[in-house]
Amino acid sequence: MPHLRMTGRGLWITALIVPPLAFVALFIVYPIISAFAYAFFDWQGLRRGDFVGLENFHTVLFVEPYRSWTINAFKNNVIVFFALMVLQNGLGFILAYALWRGLPGARFHRIAVFLPVVLSTIIVAYLFKLFLHPLFGVVNISLRGIGMGWLAQPWLGQGNTAIWSLIVAQAWHMVGFPTLVFLAGMQRIPGEILDAVRMETESEWVKITGIVWPLVAPSATIVFTLLFVGAFNWFELPYIMAGLDGSPFGSTDVLGLYFYRTAFGNVSSGQQDFGLGSALAVLIFLFVAVIASVITVRLRAREIQL
Amino acid sequence: MAQLSLRGIRKRFRDTAVLHGIDLEIGDREFVVFVGPSGCGKSTLLRLIAGLDPISEGEFVLNGQRMNDVPPSRRGIAMVFQSYALYPHMDVYENMAFGARLMGLDKAEVESRIAEAARMLRLEPLLQRKPRELSGGQRQRVAIGRALVRKPQVFLLDEPLSNLDAALRSDVRLEIARLHHEIGGTMIYVTHDQVEAMTLADKIVVMNAGRIEQVGSPRQLYEQPANLFVATFIGSPRMTIIDVVREGDRLAMAEGGSIAVTTAPSADTLKLGLRSDAVRLEPGTTGDGFAGQVIYTEYLGDNAYVYVRLADGTLLAARTAPNDSFPPDAPVTVKVEPGAGHYFSAEDGRRLAP
Repeated sequence: MPHLRMTGRGLWITALIVPPLAFVALFIVYPIISAFAYAFFDWQGLRRGDFVGLENFHTVLFVEPYRSWTINAFKNNVIVFFALMVLQNGLGFILAYALWRGLPGARFHRIAVFLPVVLSTIIVAYLFKLFLHPLFGVVNISLRGIGMGWLAQPWLGQGNTAIWSLIVAQAWHMVGFPTLVFLAGMQRIPGEILDAVRMETESEWVKITGIVWPLVAPSATIVFTLLFVGAFNWFELPYIMAGLDGSPFGSTDVLGLYFYRTAFGNVSSGQQDFGLGSALAVLIFLFVAVIASVITVRLRAREIQL
Repeated sequence: MAQLSLRGIRKRFRDTAVLHGIDLEIGDREFVVFVGPSGCGKSTLLRLIAGLDPISEGEFVLNGQRMNDVPPSRRGIAMVFQSYALYPHMDVYENMAFGARLMGLDKAEVESRIAEAARMLRLEPLLQRKPRELSGGQRQRVAIGRALVRKPQVFLLDEPLSNLDAALRSDVRLEIARLHHEIGGTMIYVTHDQVEAMTLADKIVVMNAGRIEQVGSPRQLYEQPANLFVATFIGSPRMTIIDVVREGDRLAMAEGGSIAVTTAPSADTLKLGLRSDAVRLEPGTTGDGFAGQVIYTEYLGDNAYVYVRLADGTLLAARTAPNDSFPPDAPVTVKVEPGAGHYFSAEDGRRLAP
């Protein structure tokens, strides 16, 4: 049996590792596990009732009105995910490519693109809410100013524009992150490989699709996975910009808001229900975990050793 | 046919001038080697020819057509890079097919070209491998194959052997010589290794500090170096340069003896260049010649190089028979074979006719 000696070094390591481990266990691992447990019980306010097996899961998935709410929120999350994939990651890739090719002012733009990421979501959400104000918002004022007043509208007040307004705000907020990751990936491509492509084609399109994109696959894996997780856990920005009900009429409702409402209650939906909320949380967690693992494994397979 | 003319080529990176006016003609099917110490501008010149960097001033003409503003992919030039620069996500076949397809060749033509290149470079068993599964020498051959399938008029090779170990290096050197013989294109080859330059080139371009020092065949450069730089750069061990003063029909070194010469340039002070095979060593300090002291001996089997410190501190290399024994610190006399010395101007280092 190996003899473990408590040296001064070992003590130090223990002293440094135990507190954060305890913290993580107490505030992250324990709540996750208890949420799993809560989902199988009936709840009366804060008081735990009987064990009900899978009934809470059945309710949120198949019993009206929960069923429609779940489907609506999930549908919105899917829209958000795909829209951000195009807007945030797509734009991020293009921005990264432009920065990488050293277009004029690249140094300034590298900072400018990343700055919004540093801002708090609350600030960004509040700013965009002001921008999009139907009467005093800078968006509508600008539209009227350039003679396109017919385009001015209550962006956050209509079902068909509200979710897209939120998506644009989110993309503006976070586009710097994929940009930075893609840029780092591009900077890892050896210069001579790029020279070799230039000897064979002058088409930027071929360079991007044939060489650059395949070679930044590791960055894409990270960015896709994080976006997926982020899109299905989306909460702060819609909460601040559209409120807890996903107004108007649930058009901006997403799983995060819906879960919060169900578990903790609010003015319009009445009482809280930890059981249903936990069931929702477990479903969201399982869905995100499974799909994120699949994405990661599938994308890993096409990564290339440079 | 490929006829390249470089006319007054200059290159500046911001405020730093790297090439100061290069004039050079390269003929069809020639094997030209740019050689020079690192930082001399040889790789920069190659990149200008390739089109990877813009030419600041001057003209590059290929087959009568001005190439300055033609993009690299349309110059009919292919390049083999120092790091090989294979596309890591493509197998060997795809690496070669990528460029060929971009030229707009049909499928059958692409296939037949790859088959031909693979046969020439013995790549057939490797076609489905990814670059990371290949050895250095194999990667090198793929890089050459990728250039071959484009059937360029001009091949550029940028220090292609520098990442290979010594044994492989001479193999690949032979391979490249054989390829040039077989396909007959114009090749421009950059190296800092004078052995590669001497063994491969029809024509060597010796560069230094952004200028061409001399252009000529390996034999011309060795036998008639145009100046001190070329004289000391080409040949191994380096040519020994001795400051001498003319005294009648003798050339004397300050307090270090003198040699008799029959013909020598008329200048009063000269630089005398001696290759290792131009001198003979005799033990002791007797007689005619430069006095010196043995420092050490490099034994190479078929011969040996003895390094001798002359009276003015110059280190002289002398080739001797492998069995001659010159113990360290022993005094020796350096005799010069008649007519074997090179003379250079003491002022500007240019070659002087004897």
